[in-house]
Amino acid sequence: MSASEQAAAPLLGVPPLTREDAARSLDRSRVHRARRHDRRWHLLWLLVGPGILAMLGENDGPSMIAYASDGAQYGLGFFVPFIPILFAMAFVCQEMSMRIGAVTHRGYGELVLQRYGRLWGWFGAIDLTLTNVITLVAEFVAIRVGLAYFGLGAGVAVLLGLALVIFTVSGGRYWRWERIVLGLAIFNGLFLAAAILVKPDLGALGGSLDFSPFPGGSFNTLLLLIASTIGATVTPWMIFFQQSASADKGMTPSDLKHGRYDTAAGAVLAAIFGIGALIAGAALLSHGGAGIEGFAGAGFPAALQRVAGGAPATLFALGLVEAGAVAILTISASIAYAAGECVGASHSFNNSPRNAAVFYAANIGVALLAALVILIPGAPLLSIALNANVLATVLLPVSLVLMLMLANDRGLMGAYANKRSTNVIGVAIVAFVGICGAAYGIDSFLQTIGAVG
Amino acid sequence: MSCAPAKVGREDPGERSPEPAAELHDQELIMHLEPDQLVAATTEPVAPAPLGARAKALLWGLRIFVVLVSLMVIYTFVDRLH
Repeated sequence: MSASEQAAAPLLGVPPLTREDAARSLDRSRVHRARRHDRRWHLLWLLVGPGILAMLGENDGPSMIAYASDGAQYGLGFFVPFIPILFAMAFVCQEMSMRIGAVTHRGYGELVLQRYGRLWGWFGAIDLTLTNVITLVAEFVAIRVGLAYFGLGAGVAVLLGLALVIFTVSGGRYWRWERIVLGLAIFNGLFLAAAILVKPDLGALGGSLDFSPFPGGSFNTLLLLIASTIGATVTPWMIFFQQSASADKGMTPSDLKHGRYDTAAGAVLAAIFGIGALIAGAALLSHGGAGIEGFAGAGFPAALQRVAGGAPATLFALGLVEAGAVAILTISASIAYAAGECVGASHSFNNSPRNAAVFYAANIGVALLAALVILIPGAPLLSIALNANVLATVLLPVSLVLMLMLANDRGLMGAYANKRSTNVIGVAIVAFVGICGAAYGIDSFLQTIGAVG
Repeated sequence: MSCAPAKVGREDPGERSPEPAAELHDQELIMHLEPDQLVAATTEPVAPAPLGARAKALLWGLRIFVVLVSLMVIYTFVDRLH
């Protein structure tokens, strides 16, 4: 602490307050007032954010393309009940992430690094960076595909994505950033509107709840779609993001109930909107939409226009733009949090760019890097989008295991540590995700080298 | 990059009185935050909890497993591009 700061510190043992403390305290004062006056809805409004953003942020471009691909290839069967199950899994993981952030006031990256050693902290950061950069490329791809429907090119997609990142981080307040991104995330509902406009067969929709018909066709393609669908619901960046955002928002153990509402609301909305994309994609099932790669050139919106008309296609295209944009904001924020936490620099939207240079530079820099990739002509857009999700699925088990360890660490969590039942579910999720990711990876590899037919 | 914990009071003192602070007195600000929520507290690293042999073996096994599968996925992706 500098001499001037020591001198500025108030008396009576009160530590020197920073800009970040002051901003967070202002937000907390609103929470305290709402709680004191028993304004339940206002309290809920103040405390929602990280959970909804993590869940709707994961309803991103590649995820919506994955859901639509599922629908286009296999119809509604199996995936309609499968998607809510995956979001129930996501809820379990994200609740733990929120709880750790609210109890410890620290992000995932810094806790792993400080508690279990630099090696595991850096492994986690490398996993995150790898999957996030690829996923961010896929987000710009989604915006590009959406804008292409309106005759706009890759340059506009790049400018739009980068402008949004710069605009949202420019306020120097977590609250401002969160509310802007929440406002954008609501438009994830465009996929539901598109689903309604394609006039789905409600009987078939209800009939699919028993997981039938089970998808047929190539075993490897099915594994790809299942792995990419898992990667569309639970990913390493969500864990980093929600824990860090919960801490940055200033959540405390007294807010855990509302943190759970927030996460549950996010999971329910994301499942509904994800099924919306599946239903919209399923409209292509009986119209020559057998090969998902066939959609890469035209894009889903254009294919949908030919089958279901202009209105659902327009909504689907706008939905892709929104899904990509929100994910760019949340994923680049997760990288920024991780970068700040790993190098020990300030990592908060409540701090100024001058005082949190690493945080803001990582936030904008990673988005810029991903944006440049999509300007490369002839990039295999759909393949990048689907494989981004698969890679996230493959790398997820390590992040989940470390999160389970943190959530069970009584030295950190005290009375808020995991219960036995949560651990049983958590271990089952890790095993399920690990098996699905490995099954696709190994089967694809063996096919590629010609070891199996 | 170093992995050192952030230093307490690293901010420019001139930036320590943001607009929100003007609305609330320091003492009042403190009241709304838990003591371990202050930047001065969160920049102090948590105590390390060295991993046991079983935990290390599990994490290394998992790490090697996901790296191998990741390489398979990346190899397949690149191969299919051609």
